[in-house]
Amino acid sequence: MKSVLLVVFILTGVVGFGQTAEEILKGVIDKIDLVEDYQADVQIKAAIPFIKVPIAKATIYFKQKDKFKVESKGIAILPKQGMSDLTGFLSNEKKYSAVLGEAKTINEHKTRLISILPTDENSEIILAKVYISTSEDLIYRTVLTTKSSGTVSIDYEYNLNKKYGLPNKMTFTVDIKKFKMPKSVASDIRNNEKKKKYKENEKGTIVLTFSNYLVNKGISDEVFKKD
Amino acid sequence: MMLWKNTINELLKIATKIRSYIGIGALTLLILIVLFAMKADGKSYIGFVTASFEQTLSFNGKILNGNLIAFIIMQMLIVHVPLLISLVTGDLLSGEEASGTIRMLATKPISRSGIVLSKWIAATIYTLIMTVWLGFLSLFVAKWMFGTGDLIVLNSNGLLIIPEADLAWRFALALLIAFLALWTVATLSLAFSAFAKNSVGPIVSTMSVIILFTIIGTLDVSVFDAIKPYMFTTHMAAWRSVFEDPYPLSAIWESVIILVAHIGVLLGITLIRFNKKDITS
Repeated sequence: MKSVLLVVFILTGVVGFGQTAEEILKGVIDKIDLVEDYQADVQIKAAIPFIKVPIAKATIYFKQKDKFKVESKGIAILPKQGMSDLTGFLSNEKKYSAVLGEAKTINEHKTRLISILPTDENSEIILAKVYISTSEDLIYRTVLTTKSSGTVSIDYEYNLNKKYGLPNKMTFTVDIKKFKMPKSVASDIRNNEKKKKYKENEKGTIVLTFSNYLVNKGISDEVFKKD
Repeated sequence: MMLWKNTINELLKIATKIRSYIGIGALTLLILIVLFAMKADGKSYIGFVTASFEQTLSFNGKILNGNLIAFIIMQMLIVHVPLLISLVTGDLLSGEEASGTIRMLATKPISRSGIVLSKWIAATIYTLIMTVWLGFLSLFVAKWMFGTGDLIVLNSNGLLIIPEADLAWRFALALLIAFLALWTVATLSLAFSAFAKNSVGPIVSTMSVIILFTIIGTLDVSVFDAIKPYMFTTHMAAWRSVFEDPYPLSAIWESVIILVAHIGVLLGITLIRFNKKDITS
């Protein structure tokens, strides 16, 4: 009986923890590679210090390798990092080295941390911590440390398009630097009113809810041309 | 009836004076220059507004649109339009005295109060025309040139984005409040006009009062805190409050009441002064 248990334990170890960082990443990259292009409707709900913005609706377009466009009738605020650049970055395996980290449960999904360090000294991403479910080959959390945008944390939720690794919800948490108003641009008539007090750096969240995914239906390059 | 006829007469007088068109011409030229500048280099202006957030966030959609241009134009011109208004309204009573027509005017079967009221109504209509022209150029022409979209407003608390569907009533109300502010200036210059014998004095005096009150209003000195809420210049930019969320309704009402009170008091002063004025010697 003991020997049976030992074999089961060893096998579990091989399946769950035996994979290298590269192997875990490969599972994710393979899913990314399944998607040639996609189009989706997105609802953008932003809670950002210093910015009051209504819920916006937009359509996003993506085409391999790095074509990405957001089309919205109104003004839509999106994070500068983490939309399509991460998948592009992960697909280029020669440009980074990956280190396997701890196991962590995120929203009831068992994940492994992969720390990714770019080999290119000019890379915008300094460090990417990616939490990947090894059983599903899906990213459930990413913490990106970037040169110009500070730290961006992204939580993913999946629904219908799991097989493509396309989330139905992404929650971005971004660093917002203290707002400095250009005095020549704006003036308040009642400037004696109490102003909201903010810290030097605050966190803002942007929640993207995706719907109506159209995957691999073909998107013309014309769509990505700038207006 | 006589008041109405005299008002028509006053409007015709305004229409025949070249200076009346200087205001409209200057306003048109200024707006066209702003529109041209925005068409040529509007994106850098937008960059200036969103610069504080550009490192972390990307702004998608049509930010540079007709609504934003209209807002920028209103913000820029609401300071300068009073000068163009007083150019005409400051001349209404003093111009008659300078040209010697005031006595002839007094021989008409209309009271002195009627003369003042007809000139004030004419000044009001001229101010209304200027405001409507400002609104037409800034809203319709700007929208025709730049298209429409959500409005991004910058204030000291940060950025506010107002959806396009929520803008028409805001612009209408803003123009109405702007008209009230300009109407106050027109009445002020008419009041000065009742005291002067040429039109330069009332125009310069009106602008001096606006500049002086504006400076007092911007000085962060507690000694002026008691009078600031009652200065009409404090409320001249009340139209901007309409573009806040939530908009401060009670503060807007307060501004409207103070501006209307100024108009009433200044018109009263004009009536008293003109009725007591010696125009026979």
